Amino acid sequence: MADSAMTPAEAAVAREIVRLAREELRLEGEPPAPDEPLAGRFDSLALLGLVVAVEDRFLVILKDDDAAGASTLADLARLVLARAPPERVPAAEGAP
Amino acid sequence: MAPPAHPAILSVGRALPPNYVDQETLIQALTTYWSAKHHNAERLADIHRAAKVGGRHLALPLAEYPALDTFGKSNDAFLRVGAEVGEEAIRRGLAAAGLSPRDVDHLWFVTVTGISTPSLDARLANRLGMKPSVKRTPIFGLGCLAGAAGLARASDALRAFPDEVAVLLSVELCTLTLQRDDASVTNLVATGLFGDGAAAVVLAGSARANGAAGPRVLATRSVLYPDTEWVMGWDVVDTGFKVVLSAKVPEVIEARVGADVDGFLADHGLARKDIRHWVAHTGGPKVIEAFRRALDLPPEALARSWRSLGEVGNLSSASVLFVLGDFLDAKDARPGELGLLAAMGPGFSAELVLLRW
Repeated sequence: MADSAMTPAEAAVAREIVRLAREELRLEGEPPAPDEPLAGRFDSLALLGLVVAVEDRFLVILKDDDAAGASTLADLARLVLARAPPERVPAAEGAP
Repeated sequence: MAPPAHPAILSVGRALPPNYVDQETLIQALTTYWSAKHHNAERLADIHRAAKVGGRHLALPLAEYPALDTFGKSNDAFLRVGAEVGEEAIRRGLAAAGLSPRDVDHLWFVTVTGISTPSLDARLANRLGMKPSVKRTPIFGLGCLAGAAGLARASDALRAFPDEVAVLLSVELCTLTLQRDDASVTNLVATGLFGDGAAAVVLAGSARANGAAGPRVLATRSVLYPDTEWVMGWDVVDTGFKVVLSAKVPEVIEARVGADVDGFLADHGLARKDIRHWVAHTGGPKVIEAFRRALDLPPEALARSWRSLGEVGNLSSASVLFVLGDFLDAKDARPGELGLLAAMGPGFSAELVLLRW
């Protein structure tokens, strides 16, 4: 899936999402691959917890309709980057 | 050989605290509180609406909850309100059975939402004027399972004392345990689902029952699922009981309960098709639906569980007893018909009680 290649900015958001999952929600195990379906990795309560944590961290609102278009970590990072206020977005690696 | 003599369920007394609050009002109150913690307050409302609960009877007026900022204060409220609703439930149950507090030989008390020593059953035995020889058995920690488990233990005991009367009291004031500063999704699910109430089942041994109309307890079965301790329970924290709830609960139920029910029934020469009445714990929409699918039941088979969930929420161990009370009130079970009362809860465990009207 060529689409799953993330830009540096998207990769920075994805790293922050993985950190939220690990540190805030204590979701264990290897981080999901960018194009791996999140629903296959987390149970429904954990996934909902991750969505709530992402909303709070990035000050975004994710609707149920968004879930269809954001099934992987890369999709979620892309969606968050498009919606989050700039001051909530972590700096991309290599950025000044 | 004499036919096997079975204990009888004479009545179920139920009591709810007077502070009824509909779900939308609760959502409003909690949204105001949690909007400082969560960016998307509408999601909190969605989680609450997904519980399919219309409202709850709260142990205290809504305005009194903010003052419950320690475990001690919450537990004090449990003891005060629990004594009130517990007494009312027992009085109603005994009155419906035509008995008085002095007739009670065994008092079983189950709860998972407050603690004390002496336990609430001792306080109630005094308040109600039970006889000094009443045998008290408080049980803490079976959670949602304890209504079914308590009914099973009480009826098992009455097999040894067929002339005696037992009361199983469940008091669950779940809303006093809610952790308002825990903004986790698990806590939000619990906040949307659990309500408060008390139920008292009055049972008589086979000789004492002597032609009473209520269902007989034919047999009981416990099933403890190995290595599932982590799927639900409490973490005991400085502010009290913090809910542990895994999304695996419905999966465990759906995967296991069918075979366990079939095995239990087969041991008594029965199959699912022989069961006319399903008295199921109102764990929540996902739990009720998992139970239905596990047993391949038609949706209407669990109508009373769904209705109870909508009316009062999940009352933990009291839930299945409220549903049992609804079955007794309806009087639509005919003599000879079989029923299965079932609850699932921390352990993870299932408790099954075979009934014959």
